[in-house]
Amino acid sequence: MSAESLERYSRQIRFPQLGEDGQRALLNSRVTLCGCGALGTVLANHLARAGVGKIRVIDRDFIETHNLQRQILFDEQDVADNLPKAEAAARKMRAINSTIEVEPVVTDLDHTNILDLVGDADLILDGTDNFETRYLINDAAVKLGKPWVYGGVIGSEGQTMTIIPGKTPCLRCLIEDAPPPGMTPTCETAGVLGPAVAVIASFEAIEAIKLLSGKLEALNDHLIMVDVWDWSFRQLKVANLLGKVDCPCCKHRKFEWLEGELGSHTTTLCGRNAVQVAARRPEPLDFPEMARRLGSLGDVRHNAFMLRFSTEGYEFTVFPDGRAIIKGTNDIARARTLYAQFVGS
Amino acid sequence: MPVVRIPTPLRPHAGGLDRIETEGATVGEVLDGVSTQHPALRERLFDGAELRRFVNVYVNNEDIRYLEDLATPVKAGDEVSIIPAVAGG
Repeated sequence: MSAESLERYSRQIRFPQLGEDGQRALLNSRVTLCGCGALGTVLANHLARAGVGKIRVIDRDFIETHNLQRQILFDEQDVADNLPKAEAAARKMRAINSTIEVEPVVTDLDHTNILDLVGDADLILDGTDNFETRYLINDAAVKLGKPWVYGGVIGSEGQTMTIIPGKTPCLRCLIEDAPPPGMTPTCETAGVLGPAVAVIASFEAIEAIKLLSGKLEALNDHLIMVDVWDWSFRQLKVANLLGKVDCPCCKHRKFEWLEGELGSHTTTLCGRNAVQVAARRPEPLDFPEMARRLGSLGDVRHNAFMLRFSTEGYEFTVFPDGRAIIKGTNDIARARTLYAQFVGS
Repeated sequence: MPVVRIPTPLRPHAGGLDRIETEGATVGEVLDGVSTQHPALRERLFDGAELRRFVNVYVNNEDIRYLEDLATPVKAGDEVSIIPAVAGG
């Protein structure tokens, strides 16, 4: 290890359970972080500072003012600059630690791209905000035999579980089906506290550090539940569910989310009065040309990562791969029509 | 009597309570009891007579799927916890 690394990471190298060998393993490891919102920014911050050598950060969204309350890597300038979350996070991570490799990917993780995006990773981390993506991650992780760490938060309460395919139950052993929209609260409807997210993401991060440094004996084999408001901390036994539950994923190796049988591309963004229209294109969109074409609608702004305009009470945010987030409706059919009308079919 | 722990997301459907004591010799009877006291809970917990597939129930710290599901016996002082799927992040 270089003298610079020995100095930079000295305080965690001195922690005997990690040591210099553990640090070396971290520097040589690769993580794919799925989602870079509240959980994701805390995870990205910890991983970059701890010296995880290669970090791929995937997120489909851009930054809004109401994210700043808890998404710790973002600031007002990022909102003003219309930066996608993955790009803004990568800039902060490089500023924190220029010696690691950070690869931002602005895309919607789906069954067509997930194997490419997690295939080379030693570990997958959950920074997502929905079960559709988590089941997709679970399918990919079980299929490839890669560990991943689940985390979820609402209000003051969160859960986390470390999943090692074949050794622990998987997410579908634990939660057999995703709750339908509207059946469980979201951060938009029920609110969420920054410190609650930071606690769960920090638990995920410590599991990442143990896994990547090879300290497997120290891993969590429970479902952890924390409520930071009423000070409850519970460890629920889950290990015995492995094999007991008739799991389509890890028992029958039926990867329904990965094979695209479950899940959708055009989705309402829960509680946000917005729809994401996914229409992936072979060639990146030509933003200057689009800006000229849409110029009569009024203010059309674009940078390298997104183009934004408003018309008829809807706000469109379009990404180079053709994906768009249309604010002002929860109606998928209406959103598809608007997309065809203004972005193109 | 066994005690049912209500998770934060379900408290608005349970009169704001975090714990409810109720009679019952099995997990099924206890959950039926709280759903009768707070009818809005029933729809969140049950799909017909079955538990919804995204709701897990523990007796003390053990998943009832590893025990006897809704027929799992409970006694006074046992804690029945409803564990919701937590989506946010």
